[in-house]
Amino acid sequence: MIKKLIIFIFCITFVQTIFAQSHVLYLGAIAHLGNGLKIENAAIGVEDGKFSLVADASIIRINPTAYDTIIKLGGKHIYPAFIVPNTTLGITEIGQVRATHDYREVGALNPNVRSLIAYNTDSKIITTVRSNGVLLAQVTPRGGTVSGQSSVMYLDGNNWEDAVLRADDGLHLNWPNSYYYTGWWAEPGENKKNDKYNKRTDEIKTFFTKAESYAKSSNIMDLRMESMKGLFDGSKTLYIHADYGKDMRKAIEMTNELGIKKVVIVGAEEALKIVDLLKEKNISLILNRVHRLPDSQDSPIDDPFTQSRKLKEAGILFCFDYAGDMEAMGARNLPFSAGTAVAYGLDYEDAISAITLNTAKILGIDAEVGSIEHGKDATFFISTADALDMRTNNVEQAYIKGNPIDLNNHQKELFQKYKGR
Amino acid sequence: MLKQFCFYFFSFFYLHSFGQETFPTNGVATEFEPIYAFINAHIIDAENEIPNGTLLIQGNKILQADTGVQIPKNAIIKDLKGDYIYPSFIDLNTQYGLPKTVSRDHSFRPQYNSNKKGAFHWNQAIHPEVIAINNFQNDNKKAISFRSIGFGAVLTHQQDGIARGTGGLVLLSNKKEHQNILIKNASAHYSFNKGNSSQKYPTSLMGSIALLRQTYLDAEWYNQDVSDFNYSFEAFNSEQDLPQIFEAKDVFDISRIYKIADEFEVDYIIIGNGDEYKELDIIKQTDFSFILPLNFPESYEVSNPEEAENISLEQLKHWETAPFNPLILANNNITFSFTSSGQKNPKDFLKILRKAIQKGLSKQDALAALTTIPAKQINAEQLLGTIKKDKYANFIICSKDIFEDGIIYENWVSGKKYVVSKKQEIDVRGYYTLNSQEIKDELVAIKGSKAKPKTTIFFLDSLALKTSLSDKEISINTKDGAFRAVGTFSDGKINGRFQDENGTFYHFSMVRDSLFKEKKKEFSAEIDSIIPEIWLPNKAYGFTKKPTAEIILFKNATLWTNEVEGVLENAEIIIKDGAIIAVGKELDLSEILEKDEIVKTIDASGKHISCGIIDEHSHIAITRGVNEGSQAVTAEVRIGDVINANDINIYRQLSGGVTASQLLHGSANPIGGQSALIKLRWGSSAEELKIEGADGFIKFALGENVKQSNWGDFNKVRFPQSRMGVEQVFYDAFYRARKYQLEWDLYNAMPSNMKRKSESPREDLELNALVEILKGERFVTCHSYVQSEINMLMHVADSMRFRINTFTHILEGYKIADKLAKHGAGGSTFSDWWAYKFEVNDAIPYNATLLNNAGVVTAINSDDAEMGRRLNQEAAKAVKYGGTTEEDAWKMVTLNPAKLLHLDEKMGSLKVGKDADIVIWSENPLSVYAKVEQTYVDGICLFDKDRDLQLREQNLQERMRIIQKMMNEKNEKKQNPKKEKEKLYHCDTLEP
Repeated sequence: MIKKLIIFIFCITFVQTIFAQSHVLYLGAIAHLGNGLKIENAAIGVEDGKFSLVADASIIRINPTAYDTIIKLGGKHIYPAFIVPNTTLGITEIGQVRATHDYREVGALNPNVRSLIAYNTDSKIITTVRSNGVLLAQVTPRGGTVSGQSSVMYLDGNNWEDAVLRADDGLHLNWPNSYYYTGWWAEPGENKKNDKYNKRTDEIKTFFTKAESYAKSSNIMDLRMESMKGLFDGSKTLYIHADYGKDMRKAIEMTNELGIKKVVIVGAEEALKIVDLLKEKNISLILNRVHRLPDSQDSPIDDPFTQSRKLKEAGILFCFDYAGDMEAMGARNLPFSAGTAVAYGLDYEDAISAITLNTAKILGIDAEVGSIEHGKDATFFISTADALDMRTNNVEQAYIKGNPIDLNNHQKELFQKYKGR
Repeated sequence: MLKQFCFYFFSFFYLHSFGQETFPTNGVATEFEPIYAFINAHIIDAENEIPNGTLLIQGNKILQADTGVQIPKNAIIKDLKGDYIYPSFIDLNTQYGLPKTVSRDHSFRPQYNSNKKGAFHWNQAIHPEVIAINNFQNDNKKAISFRSIGFGAVLTHQQDGIARGTGGLVLLSNKKEHQNILIKNASAHYSFNKGNSSQKYPTSLMGSIALLRQTYLDAEWYNQDVSDFNYSFEAFNSEQDLPQIFEAKDVFDISRIYKIADEFEVDYIIIGNGDEYKELDIIKQTDFSFILPLNFPESYEVSNPEEAENISLEQLKHWETAPFNPLILANNNITFSFTSSGQKNPKDFLKILRKAIQKGLSKQDALAALTTIPAKQINAEQLLGTIKKDKYANFIICSKDIFEDGIIYENWVSGKKYVVSKKQEIDVRGYYTLNSQEIKDELVAIKGSKAKPKTTIFFLDSLALKTSLSDKEISINTKDGAFRAVGTFSDGKINGRFQDENGTFYHFSMVRDSLFKEKKKEFSAEIDSIIPEIWLPNKAYGFTKKPTAEIILFKNATLWTNEVEGVLENAEIIIKDGAIIAVGKELDLSEILEKDEIVKTIDASGKHISCGIIDEHSHIAITRGVNEGSQAVTAEVRIGDVINANDINIYRQLSGGVTASQLLHGSANPIGGQSALIKLRWGSSAEELKIEGADGFIKFALGENVKQSNWGDFNKVRFPQSRMGVEQVFYDAFYRARKYQLEWDLYNAMPSNMKRKSESPREDLELNALVEILKGERFVTCHSYVQSEINMLMHVADSMRFRINTFTHILEGYKIADKLAKHGAGGSTFSDWWAYKFEVNDAIPYNATLLNNAGVVTAINSDDAEMGRRLNQEAAKAVKYGGTTEEDAWKMVTLNPAKLLHLDEKMGSLKVGKDADIVIWSENPLSVYAKVEQTYVDGICLFDKDRDLQLREQNLQERMRIIQKMMNEKNEKKQNPKKEKEKLYHCDTLEP
């Protein structure tokens, strides 16, 4: 047992030193590029942590001498890193243990708080998530009206500084619901019309108007206003969490009036009701977890499963999140939720886009990651078979900027310990 | 005088006081009671109609009601000129004249013992000793409100608690209470609502049911002269001969109440909810009579189409059908009385009553429901309900038919007149010539209705002026006050004075030249008696007609048999009469089928067919509480009492291939309640969902939930608070159960003569269930996470000589898989949940594989309404994590849970003789891309992907039809749309 482990560790070190420095060719895999394309027999070169070649091996001629290593992957699948947006992964550890919760600050308006600095690179959950191909996360604070700022993090690293891909990529605004739930968590009542809706939305508007004014010019430091400046010059995205058609409409209206440059709707349960507006304003969506129940007892039972196909047909840019119950530990199921969308009619490569390139575009990180394209970071993984199907998902190796990452985790260790018994 | 004392009493609680005699009078005490004669009256009661009759009353009683009555010389005659007389109405569901019950001792800290001092029941919600009448005081304001809508007497009871005590029958007069109380103990009242009790138990509906059942048992046991005194049981037993009235919260409570009625041989009168039409077949079986509210829902505001989408089809359908409820019950010969208690605004009562008539309810039935039936329901038919000699002089005088547009003029209660709306005797209307000093021969018209005339003085204004009339005095004024007049009508003339804007008064006189001829408006109530279609269930995706079983041959399919044959390709399966009758390749139909049998053939090329998925751990289809977590041991509660057959999740899970589920109690306490094993028979009633002949199961739980680790700082009181305590709860419970079993064994072994002489042990529902476990007649499903506690419970079970049937969740089961296998326990686990609490930190997705490899019967369950419809995907994770074979993984959601639930004789594989619970999949069911095309339960296709699309269309059409109807509904109050949130339960779900 120990012997095996030593060999294993040795291999990893060995592989790392070689791969990181050299020019590697991955040959013969089925490559899902993330941009909607697929190459059945791919030749993918990686040099200096970047994709140096993305081609169809059956068409181009390959010069073997140009590569230090050629890895033959006949029949295996290559995917760009899956990205989970809108998650508390890394800033929460155990659901019922309050001490491990670092995703919510006191008060309603906290645009200045940053998830980045609370990100725990050694979260036990992270290692289980990346084992399934999810290598990036938009780590997002929760609660209040403005929850704070998210950052896009690699699911590997020694500290938050080296794990960060994009610091403070945007602010998260929880738009008030026009209907609210009554009762408490165990005894939900009926949804009532939110009588304070107009008051609440006015408060938000006032706050953002103030921020707009501050962004133009101010000589006094206001931490909250300072953190919102980026919304008005396009350096930060405003992520508006809203589900009902009316709420999304109202929110979009406000951002237009205030000249907020980049707006993304998160949740978007009723997105299909406002397709025209979304197109007109060019708004993209981070969709609720596919594995959810329909909105109401009257809703078509497969609404959550077919929503993405219909949005694709309507030409809306969207990606999938896994927010909700157990979102951190459940993030490893993101690929399978995309698989379910495929079952209900979304094209397979489009489903891949919805957890790779689309996500990268929406988060503003598509220059670095999101697809297997020449010049982008070699952040990808190899699965022995279809990674969207839980039956076959088997991530053999994963790479961040060309470097292989450790796919072992706490759970695998326990498995090893007890399987022989 | 003597006559006055000849009261007729019915109640065995002989009570009526001669109150007036005991009170000293300040002044002249002698009082003459005249006879009133109401002549030319149209007298109607539920038994009789006297078109031109006379009613004689004296004091508080009726002397006579008939035609051709000899009117005593000294009678005071009231000529009703054709007005209608009805008996005053009786309302059996009120809290009239009683103090409001308020919640006492509210605290965040749980209160486990009763705060009520004295020799009473241990639970604050059981207070049969409450005699409402002891606290009764007249409430004149309420009495006026009741009388104004026709009521003359009410049954009043303390509307609080589970066993509520007695109700009393009282009159709504403003005489002294002594004279208003007719029957002190007229009824005994019950509900499932613990009301204002501040005590923790019960927190759930199933707890309320168990508590009431135990109360019946305890009271019976108490009857045999037990040594300790209990005032509550004394009262409970003494009230059993009264009419027993049970308040239901919704129609689904009725079958719950029926089970209790059946068990303890009680006949209840049900206070209903106006939705009885939904469960007509069940209600017909019960023979219950009803007290019905007329709580027809207001129509919804649907002008905003987006907001209107928040109204569920169920709400829309109920809006449409509720007004037909009385008619539907009447058509089915179900006895009911009406109560005004369902009204938001009591003034609307008559309006809503008339709506029921418009929907086809006969006037006779309506009148009976307001008079004779309520009187009979509480054995007061000798006192009230009809216009007959010697009954109380409780009657209303109306302008016309009360069920059409009649107005109540007077409501006489106990022989005393109360004016509701004054009858305008004199008709001042007509065309007049007006003269005064200044004004000569001007034309004035007084039109409008007799009671509310309108005056037009043409030289002032061509529009009608504000006019008020009080008997003979009429006042008229212009809006700006420039002209204000007051006059008195007499013999076709009005004489009076008016004042101009300068303050000068002038005399005027008006002479009527001709009478005003009113256009007779015939009352025409549009009768809309087409009863809307009632779906099964009456909501979206309900069936208009229940599908039936067919004989079907599926050809060319890939069959996941779960038998030695494994996965058969290009194979055939035949179902008939709800069972699988053939499985295999190239079947010879002539051998399998009877001659002339028509078999429907389905070509399943490319499809996979499996048996239905069985969810070993589910909390769907449960109503009003999944946890009775108020005590450490609640083995007495039963999920089977609280099944919600209308839960949309049943249909949703059929669409995920689930055909059977174990509905488990939650995990809030070490010994929870008894499970219900159901099939997902969408469109059937709660009782019909239950699997016939299934073994009994019960939920146990360990760890953080039972020691209340995550319940907040107030919940640090209940034992146990540590895993150490949890062990002791089990030992304590089972030693108690053993002792109890021994007591009963000894008692039952006695010869019958000895039995008669000795006190029987008290039957205890909680211990009954534990004894069943000890005897191997009830099986344990135990919520568990960490290995230490799992190990512990196996030791407890071993020492008590029973076996833990299933450890559910069992996320650390892989650490002690060998011990589980040795004990013989099965494991039913999540595929990959973890990290949601501290005790699941070592949960690994390889668990199922490791357990399976160790020979433990392993299932994968949902515990979640959403995951419940994707259990095929969850099973597939066992392939991914640890490399379980596909066939074994598939068994984890089918055959293995069937084994764990002892249902494998009938379910869990494709085998001849087993139930035809089968699923047609678009491809390999373990694939994420697999979709269910059809799901059969007992050979009946309850989900079909094509029919599902039709049902969606049907939902939409029905919705639009009703919304149209709603838009056309005029003069109706509207309510804002309310979005209904479904209630989803998990193990941890606690009720406050």
